[in-house]
Amino acid sequence: MGVPYVPIIGLIGTDILKRRLDMKIVENPFNPDVKTVVAQSLRPDIAIFHAQSADKLGNISCGYDAEVVMLAEGAKHVIVTVESVVDKITEKDSVGTYIPSILVNSIVHAPYGAHPSGCAGLYDPDKVHMQAYVKASQSEETFQEYLKKYVHGISSHEEYIDMAIPDHIKKTIK
Amino acid sequence: MMTTNMNTYNPVELMVVLLSREVRDNEISACGALSHIPAAGMLLAKELHARNAELIILNSIFNPFKTSRQFHYLAQRGELGLFFVSGVQIDQYANYNLHQLGPDHAQPDVRFPGGYGGGLIYYAARRSVAFRTEHTKRSFVENVDYISAAGSSPEDTLRLGGPSKVITPKVTFMFNRKTNRLELESIHAGFTLEEIVNNTGFAVSNEHAIQTAEPSELELYTLRNIVRQRMINTNTYAKWAENSLN
Repeated sequence: MGVPYVPIIGLIGTDILKRRLDMKIVENPFNPDVKTVVAQSLRPDIAIFHAQSADKLGNISCGYDAEVVMLAEGAKHVIVTVESVVDKITEKDSVGTYIPSILVNSIVHAPYGAHPSGCAGLYDPDKVHMQAYVKASQSEETFQEYLKKYVHGISSHEEYIDMAIPDHIKKTIK
Repeated sequence: MMTTNMNTYNPVELMVVLLSREVRDNEISACGALSHIPAAGMLLAKELHARNAELIILNSIFNPFKTSRQFHYLAQRGELGLFFVSGVQIDQYANYNLHQLGPDHAQPDVRFPGGYGGGLIYYAARRSVAFRTEHTKRSFVENVDYISAAGSSPEDTLRLGGPSKVITPKVTFMFNRKTNRLELESIHAGFTLEEIVNNTGFAVSNEHAIQTAEPSELELYTLRNIVRQRMINTNTYAKWAENSLN
């Protein structure tokens, strides 16, 4: 991914295509009698996602079979937050998707970094927190309160862990 | 419950059986997320007439792929024989709408999650069978409010397949590739043409409509025993199977 564009079979005649300025109907260069949709590639400046572990070179073991490798391929700068940092990860040690360090620019040690979502194999989504988040998102006022409590009002990741991660999730990781 | 001289079955079981008959042996069939009825239909076909069919039921153990990229390119290569799809609205041209309701696209009355890959697979799978559990004038309309996928497209555009049938609790429509419109193929037992006309938002042509072949004893037995248990054991819409297939 991250190539200039990809051909797509589909979308012709839809209202989706009308709104997508990054997709066009063009002649097939190898057979001009037939037209096809091409989609311009998404090339984000930065991608950031969470994984299970990284080694010191930036090789990643996602812990699950992930689509995020496409993000790593497509983005110009790739930041991966991880539950743990270990000495060495090879494709053989990797659980689930392996992302080689050549695609990764930065790693951040951030235990429970997926919270309130889950990290496959380690901890489940925090359903109580998720429900509170959904409730808070229903008005601008309550959402700002949520942001104040869990994002802007917090000075460090450790503080977030102490305040927001319930004990039953903490118990799942040593 | 429908009662006929032979068997009693519920509308869900009827739809599962009708969808299962669309699955062909030695072909790859697939359905997307939240597709209980097609999932059961595919598993039923595999027990009966399509023992060598390959099935892809997303978000279940019946999926050979680890990433959606692999599924996407399988379909784009033209290797997908049959895809099951649903829409909030379906129109006379077999366009379907999974996105939003209301005349103004910028200010929709209702917004739905949309369809992830249906707008691609409807063009790439050799056949698509659309299903809808509600057969009313609000679900079967003259023109959908928003086209998530189009039933047909211009001759000079690359398309590997398209809709073949639309199945509801009342009828089966067939897609006529010459006129690019849906035609009544068959009416399920217990319904009259008048009821169909009164509950369909577009003009129903009935020249060739016959009565739908009812679920057989073998189909119902296999569904209620083998398929139901298989769905429970493999955690494939297990709760739904437990409650709906009996």
